[in-house]
Amino acid sequence: MSQPMNDDVVLRVDDLSIVYQTKRGNVQATTNISFDLKRGQAMALIGESGSGKTTVSLSLIRKLPKNALITQGQVLYQRDGNVRDVLKLSKRELREFRWKDCAMVFQGSQNAFNPVLKIRTQFEDTARAHGWTDKNAVRERALELLRLVRLDPERVYEAYPHELSGGMKQRTLLALGVLLNPQVVILDEPTTALDILTQRAIIDVLNEMQQRLNFSIIFISHDLSLAAEMADVVATVYAGEIVEIGPVNDMFYDPQHPYTHGLLTSVPKLDHEQDFVSSIAGAPPNLISPPSGCKFHPRCPYATDKCSEDDPTLTGEKPDHLAACWNKDALLEAREEIARKELAQ
Amino acid sequence: MVSQTPDVVAATGQANMLDRLYDSVLNIYRNHTFRVIIQAIITVWAVVTFTFFLVRLMPGNPIDVLIEQILVQEGISYQEAYDRVAASFDFDPDATALDQYFDWFGDVLRLDLGTSITSPGTRVVDEIARYLPWTLFAVGSGLLISFVLGIVLGMTMAYYRNSPLDHILSLFASFMTGVPNYIWGLLIIIILGIQLNWFNVGALRGTYDVNTTPGFNLPFIVSVLEHALLPIITYVVSTLGGWMLNMKSSTMSVLNDDYVNVAEARGLKDSRIITAYVGRNASLPLFTQLTISIGFVLGSGVVIEEIFVYWGLGHYLFASITTRDYTSMQGVFVILVITVVFANLIADLTYGFLDPRVRVSGQK
Ligand SMILES: Nc1ncnc2c1ncn2[C@@H]1O[C@H](COP(=O)(O)OP(=O)(O)O)[C@@H](O)[C@H]1O
Ligand SMILES: [Mg+2]
Repeated sequence: MSQPMNDDVVLRVDDLSIVYQTKRGNVQATTNISFDLKRGQAMALIGESGSGKTTVSLSLIRKLPKNALITQGQVLYQRDGNVRDVLKLSKRELREFRWKDCAMVFQGSQNAFNPVLKIRTQFEDTARAHGWTDKNAVRERALELLRLVRLDPERVYEAYPHELSGGMKQRTLLALGVLLNPQVVILDEPTTALDILTQRAIIDVLNEMQQRLNFSIIFISHDLSLAAEMADVVATVYAGEIVEIGPVNDMFYDPQHPYTHGLLTSVPKLDHEQDFVSSIAGAPPNLISPPSGCKFHPRCPYATDKCSEDDPTLTGEKPDHLAACWNKDALLEAREEIARKELAQ
Repeated sequence: MVSQTPDVVAATGQANMLDRLYDSVLNIYRNHTFRVIIQAIITVWAVVTFTFFLVRLMPGNPIDVLIEQILVQEGISYQEAYDRVAASFDFDPDATALDQYFDWFGDVLRLDLGTSITSPGTRVVDEIARYLPWTLFAVGSGLLISFVLGIVLGMTMAYYRNSPLDHILSLFASFMTGVPNYIWGLLIIIILGIQLNWFNVGALRGTYDVNTTPGFNLPFIVSVLEHALLPIITYVVSTLGGWMLNMKSSTMSVLNDDYVNVAEARGLKDSRIITAYVGRNASLPLFTQLTISIGFVLGSGVVIEEIFVYWGLGHYLFASITTRDYTSMQGVFVILVITVVFANLIADLTYGFLDPRVRVSGQK
């Protein structure tokens, strides 16, 4: 992306590619990913397990596993007119950048809190690491945030992690996440381990926090309905690539990529990650030697010869709704056919 | 509706009272502190009783041992020697072991450990008070040094795992744990005392140089440290490897824990993460092992003190065994058991301060 960064863009991922070096070869977990995240915007990354969502999110705070190698690209954060590439920060700059500019809730992180320290100490630790030593001020801000996530602030602040339930811990983590007023908060499947009711509560709390504090969100999920409630923009990720990106309504009512369409027409079975893609035949490809051309072509009902030869790029009639597919017309016809059948019934 | 007869009412009342009594007894028992203390007392009693009879199962008795000596030295008749020894001893060889046990145990309950059999008039308590502090000093500092060193080295190994440093330290640690402590004692004498000649082992008998005046003065303190140094080194070397290997594996598992990853994402400084997040959690299991270790090291102290002629409780016990001085031996056993159990008790009751998760479940 060569355009200059507008003032309202807080994060730009530019042509990012990441491989994992393994004994069996290089896993191409992320390939040429680009997107802009605007101030106050919530973007959802959706896709099957193994499509590379976590890899992208980890690279945004440079917290990738040791065997990961960023082969190209930039991760640009803009704050107060300054643009910095996270991939070029020194060790010290990186430490200061983390949590202050971008906070992260990791996938499957049930024990995000140190079991032997009080919640209070962990808030104070976070503040102190970023030069904020006034404990009373930290306390005041923490209590306010804990109230915002609908917890009993005084009790939770003085509690040890094991005294809180899973849902309470997750909300406490959200409060801790915005303690330093970050511009971006990344949430990698933040509700997967929780029951349905708790999931709801977390989503409500998140929406409310975002309205109040106006940070940007990257929300990673395999659950489309959850993503729909959170997101302004949705990107579908397949085999390490963004195959479609657009405003949430366009994505739901006018999907341009067969993979997005497949995700939409499959019926989610509560929270079982594997089951929701059951209507798309086949399995995600091996990322050590991915298919030629469009990586989705072996599973695509509309695939033609061209699909196995040339890799399509993201294009679209509207500038903000792009999809990487050679046969958008075929998908459109199929969708109209389905709509006619439904009407006839 | 049938009205209840007075009998039935009384019976239910009684049952209720019994129930409540049962409940409150159960509640007291459920109280962690109480239970731990009761267990400690039972342990002390069981071990003390066991050793009492064990001591008497040893071949020979104090009288025979001394008669033997007198016979050899003075050439008088057996009967003469027997009479003389029996008269001077505070011990009736004809009483049954059970009678002796009840006698002795009654005294122990009154905190009286009796007098030495072989040197009548010497109170066992006084002897123990003389020797015990030296043992506690040597064993205590040995354990402390090796525990702290083990934690630091173990964490280093985990942080630099698979590096040459880790491989060297691992080898070193396995070797140290593999060699028994008494062999270490001998090796240290041979290497440091004889080969390198860094220490004049022969001159380091006892616990301090008799030419110094005990008190808070430099020559005395230096001589105390000099005398204790080799036993302490032995305790350190024979326990260090275990701490290192345990701390390494414990640290490696903590390094995979979510909260360490999150702490890094929170931008905490490495120093804070290493101490309060990794070190604190990784050392928790080692504190439990420390309590077990106290008993082992105290036990091994008997041999180590004898090897280095360090006049601590072990040396005293060794001398008592040689003369079959039952009361002295028993006294030492009682004190050793109480020391170990007491150390465990303290560790158990204070563990909650280290791990808040135990604090709560203990009180429930
Ligand atoms: N540390 C790693 N080493 C090698 N391969 C990895 C590693 N982490 C993830 N992968 C692979 O990278 C791909 C993307 O994984 P991930 O980013 O976790 O996907 P998602 O979050 O969408 O489930 C998967 O094929 C996964 O097996
Ligand atoms: Mg993931």
